[in-house]
Amino acid sequence: MIELQDVDFAYDDHQVLKDVSLTLGKPGQNVIGLIGQNGSGKSTMFLNLVGILKPTSGRILLDGQPLKYDKKSLTHLRQKVCIVFQDSEQQLFYSIVKDDIAFALHNLKLPQDEVVARVRKVLKQLDIEHLKDRPIQYLSGGQKKRVAIAGILVLKSEWLLLDEPTAGLDPDGKQRMITLIKGLAANGQKILISSHDMDFMYEIGDYFYLLQHGNIVKQGDKKTAFADDKLLSECSLEQPWLMKLHQRLGLPLYEHADAMFEDEQLIHTLSAIQ
Amino acid sequence: MLTIDKYAYNNEIASWSPSVKGLLWLVGMIIAFQPILLLKIVFLPIAVIYTLHVVHVTLHQYLKWFYAVIPFVALSIIGIAFTMSPSPKNVYGAIHLFGNYFGLAKSMMPMTLELSFRIITAIVCTYWFALTTPFQQIILLFKHLHFPSLLIEETLLMYRFIFIFVDSFEQIYRAQELRFGYASLGLSVHSAAILGKMLFEQVIINYQKMTYALDAKIFQGEFAVQENKI
Ligand SMILES: Nc1ncnc2c1ncn2[C@@H]1O[C@H](COP(=O)(O)OP(=O)(O)OP(=O)(O)O)[C@@H](O)[C@H]1O
Ligand SMILES: [Mg+2]
Repeated sequence: MIELQDVDFAYDDHQVLKDVSLTLGKPGQNVIGLIGQNGSGKSTMFLNLVGILKPTSGRILLDGQPLKYDKKSLTHLRQKVCIVFQDSEQQLFYSIVKDDIAFALHNLKLPQDEVVARVRKVLKQLDIEHLKDRPIQYLSGGQKKRVAIAGILVLKSEWLLLDEPTAGLDPDGKQRMITLIKGLAANGQKILISSHDMDFMYEIGDYFYLLQHGNIVKQGDKKTAFADDKLLSECSLEQPWLMKLHQRLGLPLYEHADAMFEDEQLIHTLSAIQ
Repeated sequence: MLTIDKYAYNNEIASWSPSVKGLLWLVGMIIAFQPILLLKIVFLPIAVIYTLHVVHVTLHQYLKWFYAVIPFVALSIIGIAFTMSPSPKNVYGAIHLFGNYFGLAKSMMPMTLELSFRIITAIVCTYWFALTTPFQQIILLFKHLHFPSLLIEETLLMYRFIFIFVDSFEQIYRAQELRFGYASLGLSVHSAAILGKMLFEQVIINYQKMTYALDAKIFQGEFAVQENKI
């Protein structure tokens, strides 16, 4: 579990996180969404969670232990909590895809066989085996994103932080991302996702935190987190369309789109109208 | 020049061992610097045709890459070939200037010829190497030759960031051009100044982001350079 207790964070004198307290990874909350508009402090919070930035006050606990910021503790932390940055370009160092994916494993000085096995597995998992020998600078944005995620997945961390994982992806890419995240979560991986892509978040998350100007203004599961249309508008966000259908047209609240399209009763009622 | 990089990954001999290519390059350089002119004259077209063949590039495109180096070569050759002489007999195409004669130095002709062939052969060889050897192979070659690891890491990062830098440059430039930032000379100067300033800021921001990313990937101060048999 990751706990934040009264965390404040400021860049120089610009206050970004204000008194944030939350507990991530309670039972049944494997995929957690952090929702907030541009500049609300999502990326900043992530950087605090992996110990790259340090709270100006308050503290962060991992499995009950406060984070320590010496080199050894940080190395330990970063094997348990891994982050994929918003900008995948920044995360890629090597010229060839497979070398880059293996980078973190070489840093941990894992034996060569283990490195090869893990990289192969992740290449398959992300369906990027055909890219393994390609130079990184000639990949598309979506391909770079997948390579960046692969380079982190090889670490097999307990926690995975994904900062805006769907930004710049086409519908197919987004669908793959959803499948990937669901697959990882089914294997017990704990995932924290930041995004303002509301439908995506609604589809994928178990529990949500709504961040506005560095404050947590709302938290809850699908039913509660997205219920308040006015609050979401104030945060420059939009209700997911399934929630809109529920609130404005009185349809049942479906967990995801397929559940609605497969609802025999609904199909029956609608065809009766025609 | 960045297109050369693209060809390096997609040519017929990209997968050859970098040591073999390194060795062949060395042989080419020896031919360039040995004294027998005839050997060079025979070698040169063979090397050019072979390059065109394995890299799948047109002669026209190939010659274009020489534009980048020709000014430097021309300058050094001109410096040697042309001279001032008190007598018109010593120079070809003599022009009377300030009581002296300016023109191609007769005594220097063999040397100029020798030098031109030496330079061109060396360039052709080097282009062959650059066009057929992907970057990570060059790094492996450095490693085989026991270059200091600091140098290797430095090269690795520079290579990666050249592309990021060129990308930022293009993005900013396009954004400016689309909004008519280069419509007149005055505007161009102004836009270019902003471009320079933004690139500089970008470098600093990128540096910070890179440090974050290295931290996240548990960087321990040394870049691994090895062949991953995946
Ligand atoms: N390195 C920095 N130095 C100073 N201020 C920063 C820095 N990075 C971010 N900020 C500021 O902190 C605030 C929060 O930024 P952050 O990147 O955390 O937002 P975000 O929620 O991730 O936004 P987005 O959805 O656009 O990614 C913004 O007002 C931003 O201007
Ligand atoms: Mg962000």
